[in-house]
Amino acid sequence: MKRCVILTTILLTTIFASFVFSLSSPQRIISLGPYITEEIYLLDAQDKLVGCTVYCRRPPDAEKKEKVGTVIQINTEKILTLKPDLVIATALTQKKDIEKLKKIGIKVIEFPSPKNFNEICNQFLELGKILDRYDLAENIVQKAKAKVLEIKRKTKNLAKVKVFVEVGSNPLFTITGDSFVNDFIEFSGGINIAKDAKTGIYSREAVLKENPDVIIIATMGILADKEKEIWKKYENLNAVKNNRIYIIDAYKLCSPTPVSFVETLEELVNILHFNYER
Amino acid sequence: MKDKLVNWAIWIGILVIFLLIIIIFSLSVGPTDIPFKKFISLIFKGKGSVEYSVLFDIRIPRILLGFAIGGALSLAGVILQGLFRNPLVEPYTLGISGGAVLGVCLNIVFQLDKNLGIISLPFSGFLGAILIILLVYSLSIKRGILKINELLLIGVMLSFILSSLNMLIMAVSHIQDLQGVIFWIMGSLAEPNWFLIKLMFFVSILGLLFSYLFCHALNALSLGEEEALHLGINVEITKRLLFILASLLTGFSVSIAGIIGFVGLAVPHFMRNLIGNDYRILLISSFLSGAGFLILCDTLARTIILPLELPVGVITGILGGSIFIYIISKKQIKL
Repeated sequence: MKRCVILTTILLTTIFASFVFSLSSPQRIISLGPYITEEIYLLDAQDKLVGCTVYCRRPPDAEKKEKVGTVIQINTEKILTLKPDLVIATALTQKKDIEKLKKIGIKVIEFPSPKNFNEICNQFLELGKILDRYDLAENIVQKAKAKVLEIKRKTKNLAKVKVFVEVGSNPLFTITGDSFVNDFIEFSGGINIAKDAKTGIYSREAVLKENPDVIIIATMGILADKEKEIWKKYENLNAVKNNRIYIIDAYKLCSPTPVSFVETLEELVNILHFNYER
Repeated sequence: MKDKLVNWAIWIGILVIFLLIIIIFSLSVGPTDIPFKKFISLIFKGKGSVEYSVLFDIRIPRILLGFAIGGALSLAGVILQGLFRNPLVEPYTLGISGGAVLGVCLNIVFQLDKNLGIISLPFSGFLGAILIILLVYSLSIKRGILKINELLLIGVMLSFILSSLNMLIMAVSHIQDLQGVIFWIMGSLAEPNWFLIKLMFFVSILGLLFSYLFCHALNALSLGEEEALHLGINVEITKRLLFILASLLTGFSVSIAGIIGFVGLAVPHFMRNLIGNDYRILLISSFLSGAGFLILCDTLARTIILPLELPVGVITGILGGSIFIYIISKKQIKL
C-alpha cells in the first residue's frame, strides 16, 4: 500500500514536472554539484550551463564556466547576477541559500543524494526531461543499465569478497547500505562489511573483527597513503596479508553519473577479482 | 559634567559615522560593484534590475541582520561582564548557545525541519536557549538570592555538558544531517526570512532601550554588590533582570544567526579601553560598534575570496582577536 502511494506520487510529480517543463525549458542553468555538471555535459546541454561550483572540474571544459561558490557554500549574489532561470541544488546545498534564491524568484530544483544506482539513473532521466534531452538521457541510461547487468552476470558466480570502504579517517568513516556506493560493492561481487551499520562512523576494531579481504580508500589527498600505512600495521587482516589495500579516486567513487558509475564499477570488478593494480 | 556630555556626544557621533561608512561600503561591494552614486537612481528607477535585487534582496537584509546581531551580542557581552565583574565572560559562556545548538541538532536529527520547514530551526534553537536559561537561573537561586558566582560556574559546566551532548548527537546522526548542523553552528547572516530579520532588529533595539534602565545600577554594581546595595540599588531585582535581558539577547541572536564568536567578547573590551567604564556611554557605544564590526566582518567574509563566501565567524575571530591582542600588548589596559 505504502509503496503504491509513493509510486503514484512519483508518477504524478513526474507528469506535473514534465508538464511544467514542456512549457519552458530553461536556457540559463546553474549547477551546484559536480555530478550534475558532468551530467549536463553528458546530455550535451553545456551551452545552457552559465555557472557551476569550483569543484566542478570534469569535464575539463567545466573549469571555464563561471564559478558561484563551493558545493556547500554558494554565493547567492553571484548566482543572481548570472540571471539563471534554473538552479539545480544538491543535498549539500544549504537550505537557507535555497530558500533565499526561491524568495528572490529564481527556480530551484533540489536533487537529493542518490541512494542506489537506480536513483542515479532516475535523476539523470529527470535532468534529461528538464533540459529537453529526454531521448538522449534514456539512451545513455539504457546503455549503462545493460552494462551493469552484464557485469552483475559476470560477477554472480565469482567468490564473494569482503570489502571495507574508507571515505574518511579520524573518525574512521565508511559507507552504509543506504548509499549508492554500496551498490558498487555488491554489483562487483563484494560484501560491504558496514552495510547494516547505522551511521558512517565505524570502529577500527570492528574492521579487525570482520576481517575484510579488501580495503578501499577513497583519496583524501595525501591522507590516503598515510591511512594505507596505518592499516598495514594490522598484519592479521586478510587485506594486509594479501596486500590488497587500494586507493581510488574519490571523484569516481562519490559523485557518479550513469556513465561514470559503469566505469568505476568495471574498475572495482578488476580490483576485487583480478587483483588489478592501479 | 558638561564636558563629559560633549565628549560622549562626540564619541557617539564618531561611531555613527563609522557605522554609516561601513554600511555604505557593504552596500556597494560584492561580485557586482554598485557605486554609491548609483544608489539613488536604483532606488527610484531600478526595480526589476539585477542590481536592485542584489541590493534589496541580499545586501540590505544582511546588513540589517548584522546590525541587530552585532549590537545584541556586544550589548549582552557588556552587561554580562558588568554583572559578573569578570572580563572573560561573553554571551556564549553560560551555555545559552549550547542550548540553542542542542535544539537545532534535535530538530535536524528528528527531521522536523523537513516537515515543518527550515523556519522551525530558529524556533527550536530559541526553545533550547530558553530552557537552558531557566535551568541555569533556577539552579543558581539559593534562598531567594541569585548567586552570581554559582551562576557563572553552573553556566560554564552546563555549556560543557551541552557541547558533549551535541557531539553525541552528531556522532550518531546521519551524514546528510551532520552537514546541516555544522553549517548552522558556523553561523551566517544570510537569513532568507524577512520576519526573523525584523524580529531580531526589534529585539535588539528594545534590548538597548531596556538596558538603559539599568545604566546607573551597572555603574554601582561595578563597585561590588554590597556597595551597590548601600547606594540604594535593588541588587536582587537588577541582577535577575540583567541576566534575563542578556540571555534573551543571546538566545535570539544564536537561534537566528548561529554561533558568531568574538563579537560579544572583544567589542566591549575595545570600548571600555577607548571610552571608559561608565555604563551610560558604554552600553550605546558597544551596541553601535558591535553592529559596525559585524557588518564589516560579514562584508569581508563575502567578498575576500570571490566567488567563495567564508563563514562570518572566520573573520570575526581572526580580525577581532588580532586587534584585541594588539591593543592589549600595546597599552597596559585594565580589564
